[in-house]
Amino acid sequence: MALATRIEPSILHKLAKYAPESENSVWTEIRTKSLKELNSTAFPHRKIEEWIFTDLRPIVRTDFVPLEEAGTFPATDIEKYFIPESDRSRLVFINGKFHEKYSSIGGLGKGVTVGNLADHSDEEEVQKYLNNLVNYENDVFVQYNGLMFEDGAYIHLEKGAKAEAPIQVLNLYTDAKNPFVATPRMLVVSEEESDVTIIEDHIGLGENRYMTIPVCEVKVKERAHIHHVRIQRDSIDAIHVSRPIAYVEKNSEYHSYTITLGAKLTRNEPRVIQEDEEVDFTLDGLVLIDGEQIADTHSVMDHRFSHADSHQLHKVVVNGKAHSIFNGKIFVRRDAQKIDSFQENRNLLLSEDGLVNTKPQLEIFADDVLCSHGATIGQLDPEEVFYLQSRGMTEEKAKEVLTYAFALETIENVKVESVHKLLIDEVYRYTKANSESKVTV
Amino acid sequence: MSETKALESMIGEEYKYGFTTDVEYEDFPKGINEDVVRLISEKKDEPEWMTEFRLKAYRAWTEMEEPSWFNATYEKPKFDKLQYYSAPKNKPKLNSLDEVDPNIRETYEKLGIPLDEQKMLAGVAVDAVFDSVSIFTTFKEKLAEAGVIFCSISEAVHEHPELVKKYMGSVVPVRDNFYAALNSAVFSDGSFCYVPKDTICPMELSTYFRINNMNSGQFERTLIIAEENSHVSYLEGCTAPMYDEHQLHAAVVELIAMDNAEIKYSTIQNWYSGDEDGRGGIYNFVTKRGACRGKSSKISWTQLETGSAVTLKYPSVILQGDNSVGEFFSVAVTNKRQQADTGTKMIHLGKNTKSTIISKGISAGNSNNSYRGQVKISKKADNARNYSQCDSMLIGQTCGAHTFPYIESANPTGKVEHEATTSRVGEEQIFYLQQRGLSEDDAISLIVNGFCKEVLKELPMEFAVEANKLLGIKLEGSVG
Amino acid sequence: MLEIKDLHVEVEGEGIEILKGVNLTVNKGEIHAIMGPNGSGKSTLAKIVAGHPEYEVSKGDILYNGESILELDPDERAHAGVFLAFQYPVEVPGVTNNTLLRESYNTIAASRGREELDPLEFDDYLRDKLELVDMNPDFLERSVNAGFSGGEKKRNEIFQMAVLEPTLSLLDETDSGLDIDALRIVADGINKLHGEDDAVVLITHYQRLLNYIVPDHVHVMIGGKIVKSGGKELAIELEEKGYDWLETHATVNGEAK
Repeated sequence: MALATRIEPSILHKLAKYAPESENSVWTEIRTKSLKELNSTAFPHRKIEEWIFTDLRPIVRTDFVPLEEAGTFPATDIEKYFIPESDRSRLVFINGKFHEKYSSIGGLGKGVTVGNLADHSDEEEVQKYLNNLVNYENDVFVQYNGLMFEDGAYIHLEKGAKAEAPIQVLNLYTDAKNPFVATPRMLVVSEEESDVTIIEDHIGLGENRYMTIPVCEVKVKERAHIHHVRIQRDSIDAIHVSRPIAYVEKNSEYHSYTITLGAKLTRNEPRVIQEDEEVDFTLDGLVLIDGEQIADTHSVMDHRFSHADSHQLHKVVVNGKAHSIFNGKIFVRRDAQKIDSFQENRNLLLSEDGLVNTKPQLEIFADDVLCSHGATIGQLDPEEVFYLQSRGMTEEKAKEVLTYAFALETIENVKVESVHKLLIDEVYRYTKANSESKVTV
Repeated sequence: MSETKALESMIGEEYKYGFTTDVEYEDFPKGINEDVVRLISEKKDEPEWMTEFRLKAYRAWTEMEEPSWFNATYEKPKFDKLQYYSAPKNKPKLNSLDEVDPNIRETYEKLGIPLDEQKMLAGVAVDAVFDSVSIFTTFKEKLAEAGVIFCSISEAVHEHPELVKKYMGSVVPVRDNFYAALNSAVFSDGSFCYVPKDTICPMELSTYFRINNMNSGQFERTLIIAEENSHVSYLEGCTAPMYDEHQLHAAVVELIAMDNAEIKYSTIQNWYSGDEDGRGGIYNFVTKRGACRGKSSKISWTQLETGSAVTLKYPSVILQGDNSVGEFFSVAVTNKRQQADTGTKMIHLGKNTKSTIISKGISAGNSNNSYRGQVKISKKADNARNYSQCDSMLIGQTCGAHTFPYIESANPTGKVEHEATTSRVGEEQIFYLQQRGLSEDDAISLIVNGFCKEVLKELPMEFAVEANKLLGIKLEGSVG
Repeated sequence: MLEIKDLHVEVEGEGIEILKGVNLTVNKGEIHAIMGPNGSGKSTLAKIVAGHPEYEVSKGDILYNGESILELDPDERAHAGVFLAFQYPVEVPGVTNNTLLRESYNTIAASRGREELDPLEFDDYLRDKLELVDMNPDFLERSVNAGFSGGEKKRNEIFQMAVLEPTLSLLDETDSGLDIDALRIVADGINKLHGEDDAVVLITHYQRLLNYIVPDHVHVMIGGKIVKSGGKELAIELEEKGYDWLETHATVNGEAK
């Protein structure tokens, strides 16, 4: 570990002095702790194993300014991003700040709380879990978020409560004169036997550079179910560094689907941590990138107790000069027996200038387990292309259809109808754009 | 479970090669500095260019940091306490077998490696390396008839300087890594093989490595060159006595295959692995790399890794020539406190290059067994193909199996497929075989052999028996 | 030959009783059929006779040729001539059928004081047996059950039975998953193998197999007990009436669920 005194201050360290004040003791405590840690943690670089393939220059070379100095433009036409199913259960954040007038809270009835974290700071669950679930080793991004966030999404389900409609957490980022950093925050506590679907959406309204660092903490208690869809549609020049972590208790289920479409640089680190026996979780991902995009997923599925079913399907399509990185860790700790874990990473590399790095990783310390992973990198199967051509399609059309089909598998399980449709449209737009820009053989 | 105990006890079979040989050694100072490096070169009466090669490597080494990225923890070797040159007191060069120290001959006999050509397995030429010095090479003349040069690397430095000069360090540069740099500075001996154009080497070549001296590190160097349209198969075997102290083995192996040449390199590694508490055992930090320089050349690594306290080893292939082929077949068995971090690198540079990786890891006791592999399809490697399969089997509750594949592709016409599984010896499998009359021991042994079969069948015929016997030693014993 | 006395069996460590007092006597030269609905304990009975470690005998005994075999390991029971054709034959990747059978045959031969066969002799021996179940010799070089179809696995079990020449064969749902031609081949094989000195216990859900192999005795098992025994006509009666009337009967007796 580098010595605290030798930390080279990064842009995040420099912006730390703009941390907001708070009268609230929970927030103050989190900030104090985060600042202390930030001051002794170095910004990552490519000599560290976890960052070896990731080009951090878009962050390092940008002079981010505090949000107040960014010269942001107002957000317009927000309504078009609302999903109809969530008309009574929507939280809207613009550049990380809660906007009550666009939000719709309290519509899900008894037992379901949906609101701004800052308005629920007195609640026991907030005090108990906020910032205590997040567990990333020496991570400047988590520390920075802890230091800066004021608002955030808070979702709480009482014992046995079933949210009858999906909850939309809409994060919008506005166009601005200068690049800024946003720190969205989210805490989800699902008590025993509760059930909820969450649609977390990140949308860039302009084409500007900004950095968003969403931190999301999820607690799934006994026999509770959470269906979590995360859509990243940031601006094409944005930087998105997300830290979603979920803890799953006995007999619970957590299914998460992350769709990465936007941003110049994405670093997504989803983690699921098993807290008791008999759990079932999913950590799927779909990445569609082009141009000079870099999308990096570092995931952890941590099996600490016996009897878990876990699945991860991570699909990637790379075109242009884009670069995809995947590191999926599966841990099975000692005494965690009867684990059935399956991880699959499929990469479609469509262009000559694209690059794919993948490192699926198994770390197993228990003997009665069945764990497997598979990874492939390749282009579309020429036999399949030929087959479709022989049925009358042009080569371009055949490739478009096959790419579309390849990507579609990961979103099949998204069960909110309008979101499923929206994602299909996004996949279609991507494959269409690519077939028009002439997919290379 | 009882079958676990049975298998543990089978794998835990006592090490049979742990004896020491009483030999007089030449005096040599401990520790390392430029003078020591010069002294090694002087002892071996080396030409100036060789001394320079060593010094360059030594200087590079002093600037390098000891690596720590692998999945193993151990006490670092004390480089200033090691003896970097250890040669049995003997005549510098032997003219016949009778001149070999009888104690050393006896050692090889105990290991089941008779140096006497009469007793040799038909068609296998042996180079025996004792502590870092080549003791005797058999069948030299017969090989010479075919034009194949097979001798110690020290001899090659004198007899074939142009070849050594041209190729040594060309695949593993002196600065390649910490241990390769150290080896390049202090290597004492090893095997050299040159197969000329249009030549099929008439017999299996083999080197047996034995570390005897307690304080010495073993730094041997192997260089194999296969010219156009040639073929050679080479096997190395390794054993060491049991000491409480760790011993360092840091070898460098370089293979070069020209157009249409094929090199098959097999290893049966059974260095002493230390005791139950992790006392003693060899640190096996080896750099092995082959370059498929020529078109349609092929390099194939097969390894059966059963010994050593800590193994860090990644036999690799650089696929430069178009249509060249790289293969890696590995069985790694760890038990007690052994730690193995092993795998391969397949670097695809040429067009239509192909690589296959089959790795089988078996962990038992308190051991940790890691597969670490890299597959890289570079931008120009059109139509490159890789297939990797890495399976792990765990026996018992206190060991670990890890899989770290690094896969990179920068070419859309390339295709990489990687699969890995982790599983156990199934209770149902054991019951099924017992129901057919096999004892629990035999059932487990059969299952493990089946698990490793794809790799074991890659070993040269002459050594398949030996490999089975070695697995047998590890996998036989009384039912607990 | 086989005498099962008031056998109570539990899943090891779980305390759930699966067999609740089974009595059964099988004599040399006989064919018995044990029938019953799913979950009645038929398969457990076969496995426990073969010594499956998952089950524990909590009460009663199993005598084989007059001696208790409860303390014997599965392989020792196999040496004594007990053969179980598995309902779900296990895959053993990398181990060929040939290797398995030679190992099995020779250990069993050794334990019975017979001569072991060398590879060539054994090869001839195998080829004769292959014909019995109409299997292609290629199949000897394939890994045990790995990638086999359901039917192939079942035929492989009977092939192994032919090679190992057991004295007591327990065939656990060997008929399931077989089409009519395969069923006939398997049944013919069993009929040819069966003689005066050995006994066969067929465990089956359906009467279908019994059209080809005629049992001397038919037992109906429900709820962990044999609730009715009779001749081959019982099987036909079951085919017509199903198991319901017997289940009622069992419930009335107040012992089975």
